[in-house]
Amino acid sequence: MSEYIIEMLGITKEFPGIIANDNITLRLKKGEIHALLGENGAGKSTLMSVLFGLYEPEKGEIRKNGKVVKIKNPNDATALNIGMVHQHFKLVDVFSVLDNIILGSETTKFGFLQKKRAKEKVQALSEKYGLKVDLDLKVENITVGMQQRVEILKMLYRENEILIFDEPTAVLTPGEIDELMEIMRSFRNEGKSILFITHKLSEIMAVCDRVTVLRKGKYIGTVNTSDVTKQELSQMMVGRPVELTVQKKQAMPGEVILKAENITVPSKRQRNKPAVKNVSFEARSGEILCIAGIDGNGQTELVNAIAGIDKTTKGKITLCGHDITSASIRQRNKLGISHIPEDRHKHGLVLDFPLKDNLVLQRYFEPEFRNMGFIRQNAVKQYADRLILQYDVRSGQGGETITRAMSGGNQQKAIIGRELDRNMPLIIAVQPTRGLDVGAIEYIHSQLVKKRDEGKAVLLVSLELDEVMSVSDRILVMHEGEIVGEFDPKTTTVSELGLYMAGTKKQGGTDQ
Amino acid sequence: MRNLNSKAKESASPLLKNEGIKSVSASLLSIMAGLLVGGAITVIVALINDEISFKAGLEGLKLIFFGLFSTGRDISGNLTFGFNPVNIGNLLFRATPVIMTGLSVAVAFKTGLFNIGAPGQYLMGTAASLFIALTIPSSSVPTWIIWLLALIGGMAAGALWGAIPGALKAYLNINEVLACIMTNWIAANLVTWFFESSNLRNGNESGKIGYIMPTSANGVVTAKLGLDRIFPGSQVNGGILVAIIFAILVYVMIYKTTLGYSMKACGSNKHAAEYAGIKSKRMLVLSMAIAGALSGGGASLYYLSGNTEFFHATYQSLPAEGFNGIPIALLAANNPIGVIFSGLFMSMLNIAGQQLKNLTAYNEYITDIIIAAIVYLSAFSLVIKALLSGLHKRKSAVAVATRKGNSTTAGVQTHADEEIIEEINNGVKNAEIDFSEDKREGEE
Repeated sequence: MSEYIIEMLGITKEFPGIIANDNITLRLKKGEIHALLGENGAGKSTLMSVLFGLYEPEKGEIRKNGKVVKIKNPNDATALNIGMVHQHFKLVDVFSVLDNIILGSETTKFGFLQKKRAKEKVQALSEKYGLKVDLDLKVENITVGMQQRVEILKMLYRENEILIFDEPTAVLTPGEIDELMEIMRSFRNEGKSILFITHKLSEIMAVCDRVTVLRKGKYIGTVNTSDVTKQELSQMMVGRPVELTVQKKQAMPGEVILKAENITVPSKRQRNKPAVKNVSFEARSGEILCIAGIDGNGQTELVNAIAGIDKTTKGKITLCGHDITSASIRQRNKLGISHIPEDRHKHGLVLDFPLKDNLVLQRYFEPEFRNMGFIRQNAVKQYADRLILQYDVRSGQGGETITRAMSGGNQQKAIIGRELDRNMPLIIAVQPTRGLDVGAIEYIHSQLVKKRDEGKAVLLVSLELDEVMSVSDRILVMHEGEIVGEFDPKTTTVSELGLYMAGTKKQGGTDQ
Repeated sequence: MRNLNSKAKESASPLLKNEGIKSVSASLLSIMAGLLVGGAITVIVALINDEISFKAGLEGLKLIFFGLFSTGRDISGNLTFGFNPVNIGNLLFRATPVIMTGLSVAVAFKTGLFNIGAPGQYLMGTAASLFIALTIPSSSVPTWIIWLLALIGGMAAGALWGAIPGALKAYLNINEVLACIMTNWIAANLVTWFFESSNLRNGNESGKIGYIMPTSANGVVTAKLGLDRIFPGSQVNGGILVAIIFAILVYVMIYKTTLGYSMKACGSNKHAAEYAGIKSKRMLVLSMAIAGALSGGGASLYYLSGNTEFFHATYQSLPAEGFNGIPIALLAANNPIGVIFSGLFMSMLNIAGQQLKNLTAYNEYITDIIIAAIVYLSAFSLVIKALLSGLHKRKSAVAVATRKGNSTTAGVQTHADEEIIEEINNGVKNAEIDFSEDKREGEE
């Protein structure tokens, strides 16, 4: 019996023009949490696709418990008890939690569903591992954190021994992350083996036993987490020393760029309860104002109201001295808002467009790009080429690449480039670094700081407290649609912020 | 074997990368599949039908493929083939309206709408065109001006009829398919009623009860532009050139103008379009109006020929030209230039079917079934394109993704059952967009 439950030895997978995996070795011990670390494009996805039988590698072999196995399709992988939680969950929104868990491996008797037995089994699993889910709710009505627990239960229901988590913490709140870590540890204690794909170094240090690092398709090494520091890991991953803290000068706040006065935004989910209640604040030039809070506490609606996507029912929004409360989205964009949206796929990009067309999404009608109603293709192309170069957006065919085919990190870079290049006095950045790797995060933070130093007002909405603390000059905490506190990052702590985010404390009112 | 297979795929990859080539080859493949199945049906019908001999079956097969070039039978009774100016002229004539409806459907598709309302728009265009062409006295107004007015009127009527479901979709979130079906039948009955009480009915010729006078009665006839000399004896006229010009205009509009850019942005991602400040509701109405105008214009070009008569009475069916726009647009992968060719192909089938009926023992019903089978399979070009992409995607998705960074979006499926989930989710989402999610917006 081998020490390793899964071994991927000397895996080489080539695609026309690129070697996605070059002689990569990954050995997963039974009962360990093993991190797979690498920047975007390092080959993590390809390697996992090989493990799942989606690609046949040119070279190399996969062994389970020391025996060579052939994985030709995902069913083979399932048969070998390999399960995966994808970053973007694969759930049927209108099915109940229970239906989602049993989908594909339903317990049947004479062709009839045995839901009761399935339910008992799921309930037992959920209690055993503390995975709290409501089996009867529809997936569309449960939180992201619960959706993830559903995905985990799916793997457990199938009695998988090898669990792969693809960027599981990207969508979770700090508390949920801690819970997930606890669950992963209990799996390890059960003897299950976990592959943890991530680029958050602190999580690796917290929960993993060993780390395998990939860089640009090559195997860099496997180390014990107890033997390395975060700094060393990031250097292995990026290939150069990386600044993990944001370098910035003292902020020099100037005139008020954005002023929100008592704005109220109705909720789309709940009829009688507004998503944003009576919120007032000012964003000044030369400072990064951060809105912190747990996801779903009105930050999205607040930003949408400022950008004009959602309507306000009360209050006044002033931008550079102009009342924009009832201005159209385009008027606001022209007047002075750059907006890096929260959901880059939903709002930020038209995925089926070529990259160059996405880079002029708010500008295609400007004289620079339009002549008598026709798009000046050359001007668009030149402009796109410049942005691509300046912001290092990597893609297969430059501006002609269909945006859908690009990686998440580069899609985000394209949006950042597009928005920052418009050079507007107000830059709204909503979770600009979500799902990105250390190198890209470092880059985006430095760009935001640069814009601040140029005298722009930056309104940053973030769920990650590390980001909030390191980037911002001033912090507003939102809870249930209200601003419950204002802080200076230099004089507050993460735990203090956490109390306000959870609604336990509130400034200017009585503590609850 | 496996190796060989993968090598073949590798070598096909660069070619399949090109979207255009992929679309064209998908369309050609589906046409071939359609013709083969149509041919197979032809032969099977011959085998099981006592009235059609095996020899006649083979003749039918020949006609399915080469009907356009059929020149009848020689003295010994064998089928003869060659250049047939009548067939080709008629091909061009009949392609005219369906190219227009094909464009109509394609334009709407670009904004993410399924314009199944083309038949209704076509009917409204017919009524407006005929009314203008027959009532403006040619004694006082030059006929070419009447012709132009009739075309513009037909397009305007179609535009209005298209804008209705567009506006219902944009402002009240009523599914455009439902609204289109309703407006189709309203148009059918409205047009019948309108002509029923008009004095435009053809009372002069016997056997023409229920027909409207041809526009030639008022001297309004589409210019032949010399085409009748190239294809003597056929119904061809300059309308086909007008249709081709429209196709080029639509192509330019979609791919070269800012209007087309906004329409496409709304079609492929409404949220991103709105985020960018594009007024997506207005775009929906506008694109449906343009689509309607094209359908209406198709009707105008067909009925202004002077040798076509509109049968208005007891209207119980919608014009096939309208519905045929759908497979034509699909076959062309919604490319306006491609629509010219798929429109010609569809009309070629029409001619082939006619030859089959005239020259062999196949009756019109069997002919229709065969043609329908071909059309049906031809419309599968999108499916075939997806298959072609699938071949290539498995290889390229991650290649692309890894080259420019890892991707969570490359759409790499890792589980068999996940594909099912994706499908269900998509299906459900579509339903949701139409019925529940958008309702919320409609309430705003």
